[in-house]
Amino acid sequence: MSIPGLAARNLLRNKLRSFLTVSGVTVGVLAFVLLRTVIWAWTAQSEDTAVDRIVTRHKVTFVMELPMSHFDEIRSMKEVRCATYQNWFGGKDPSHDQEFFATIACDEKTLFDVYDDMETPPDQKKAFLEDKQGALVGEKLMQRLGWKLGQTVVLQSQIYPGDWEFHIVGVYKALRKAVDPAQVFFHWDMLNERRPARIKDHIGWIVSRVAPGASAARTSLAIDEHFDALDVQTLSQDEHAFQQSFLAMFSAVLTALDTVSLVILGIMMLILGNTLAMGVRERTGEYAVLRAIGFLPRHMVALVVAEAAALGFVGGAVGLAVAFPLINLGMGRYIEENFGGMFPFFRVTPSAAIVAMALSIALAVVASVPPALAAYRLRVVDALRRVA
Amino acid sequence: MIPIAYNLGSLGVRRRTTATAVLGIALVVFVLAGALMLTAGIRRTLGSTGRADGALVIRKGSDAELSSNIDQASVGLILEGPEVRRSEKGAALGSGEVVVVTALEKIGTKGGVSNVNVRGVADNVWLVRPEAHIVDGVPAKAGTDEAVIGARIRGRFKGVELGQSLELRKGRPARIVGVFEAGGSSFESEIWADVDTVRTAFGREGLVSSTTVQLLSMGSFDAFKARIEHDKNLGLEAMRESIYYEKQSENLAKFIGVLGWLISAFFSIGAMIGAMITMYASVSSREREIGTLRALGFSRRSVLASFMLEACLVSLLGGAVGCAASLALGVVRFSMINFATWSEIVFVFEPTARILVIAMVSAVAMGVLGGFLPAVRAARLRPVEAMRGE
Repeated sequence: MSIPGLAARNLLRNKLRSFLTVSGVTVGVLAFVLLRTVIWAWTAQSEDTAVDRIVTRHKVTFVMELPMSHFDEIRSMKEVRCATYQNWFGGKDPSHDQEFFATIACDEKTLFDVYDDMETPPDQKKAFLEDKQGALVGEKLMQRLGWKLGQTVVLQSQIYPGDWEFHIVGVYKALRKAVDPAQVFFHWDMLNERRPARIKDHIGWIVSRVAPGASAARTSLAIDEHFDALDVQTLSQDEHAFQQSFLAMFSAVLTALDTVSLVILGIMMLILGNTLAMGVRERTGEYAVLRAIGFLPRHMVALVVAEAAALGFVGGAVGLAVAFPLINLGMGRYIEENFGGMFPFFRVTPSAAIVAMALSIALAVVASVPPALAAYRLRVVDALRRVA
Repeated sequence: MIPIAYNLGSLGVRRRTTATAVLGIALVVFVLAGALMLTAGIRRTLGSTGRADGALVIRKGSDAELSSNIDQASVGLILEGPEVRRSEKGAALGSGEVVVVTALEKIGTKGGVSNVNVRGVADNVWLVRPEAHIVDGVPAKAGTDEAVIGARIRGRFKGVELGQSLELRKGRPARIVGVFEAGGSSFESEIWADVDTVRTAFGREGLVSSTTVQLLSMGSFDAFKARIEHDKNLGLEAMRESIYYEKQSENLAKFIGVLGWLISAFFSIGAMIGAMITMYASVSSREREIGTLRALGFSRRSVLASFMLEACLVSLLGGAVGCAASLALGVVRFSMINFATWSEIVFVFEPTARILVIAMVSAVAMGVLGGFLPAVRAARLRPVEAMRGE
């Protein structure tokens, strides 16, 4: 019988303990994968961004707006290929009061140049451009609120009084994770007409794409320098940096989740180490016999480590087998449907699965070091004499 | 009864396995207590913001001060009612305030910016909000570009320190002259400056975001609300100040609370399994002892009780270690965005007696659940076979 075979046999000797240990590792892997998925879901948007897209906003605060002239100036810069402007509307559907989604007044003529990763059928795009009260709605939001193409919806705004009536004439699909798949876009002119005089012709922010060959980081700086001497200064960030600075506001939570997922690994290791140590202690006599008939200390180490790796492997495999259907089919769907605003994508990534598997084997091996050392240092005579 | 000394002795003999079981439970308790303490901290920070006998008026439909705009002219109307408390000199205890958000560079991050609430306050702010008081420096003089900062954000952002200054608008720096505390409320994460300064800097001339008043008594609220909301043309909405801030904390506290419980639930299953493995091993390596005890005349019940007691001891120890470690979180400051205001608020981990009790109870529950099956097995051993064993 080979050493791995013997190690596997050892695991079957105390079936209850092995079962408990595997369950422990399973729970650990499940919790770990779940936490990694939360973290991934949170940060996924910042990883899939358009590198050449720049957001320019008011330097001091997002509650203040930019004069329309800023848009023309940015558009005429040689580093900038195209640009569009938008305003936050703060819309909500009175019949779905608790649903948060972004409602944006956009310059419909330039929107699709800058957001070429928003996919809309050509006829719907045409309808959106032609209808002054037209709204372009993200596919996910249509599902979430049960809206239909062609429907008229009345929204209210947290900022602007009154009822606002829109015709849903187009649906877009986000081709990139950085593009929120649950927004409502409508014509900026419609907003501007109803705004009070003091904020008329002011725009919330400007989004631009840099010309081929120009660097997004340098163009951001160039834009900010251009406006530095003026009364209204700007803060420009490329899309990645913009998403990152948004995430930074949650950084404490992300750090806490990271810490917690490390704690899980710690608990997993304690369980594994405990089981292995107990097994080795009970089998001291047998190891001594093996040594006495000619096996070397390294064979003892191999036995213990192989047993550990097998435990880790089985635990990891069972954990993933539970985690995949639970998260991808159960929880993930529920979360995407109900908390889509925050977690538009909630899926176990292959990389998280691989990491979890590798970690559960690696931790088992690490946890087996003290018992393996004990087996290595075993003194045959003492061990044989010892009463277990 | 089998004496406790026996259990203590046996835990001592198996020091290492005891330690791993204790550590496992301690980790779970630590995470659970930490999450609960943070939830309590959030509730306390946002829950203690605003007075029960205070009221807040914003534009109807705005949900929050940040998106609300009220004409300065309405402030006078709001304040002139008989429900509003007055000072000895007869001035109404209430004022219109402007709330805006500014992006500040966060110290310790490379160019990272974060949002901070800036509140333009009237000169009677210390009367309207008596819970707030200066702890360092002096109050800002009305009508100047001076500002005071909340104690919790002091030193966390560039320029947010006594003697330094912030640029609210190009060429108009606001100098920080004082630091204030406000009973641990979310005001302590704000910057307060003169209402007119903020208004001009942020282009809000002639407007306020909200109007805060002190009412004669808690019972005056209904009359106040009726009067404010009676005139539909004003389009205003009155809320009890305490309820407004509680509503703002609702989502955040719920979010952290659910996350904490979910994680703790997973963890406690893990720790329970750990405890079970330890106890099973401890039973099987002590078969002879148990057989001897039974032969000496101890009943099955006392063997069961003894092993349960041992499991409880392990879990109590684990609980105590976990609680002690979680108390150390008291020095950690946890800053997070509040979804309702889009700006950062600094929270502290708030240990309460209730949380420590919950943590200890869960620790014991883990020990009892994990120890029960092994203890049953110990109690079921037949004395003769057990003594004959390996």
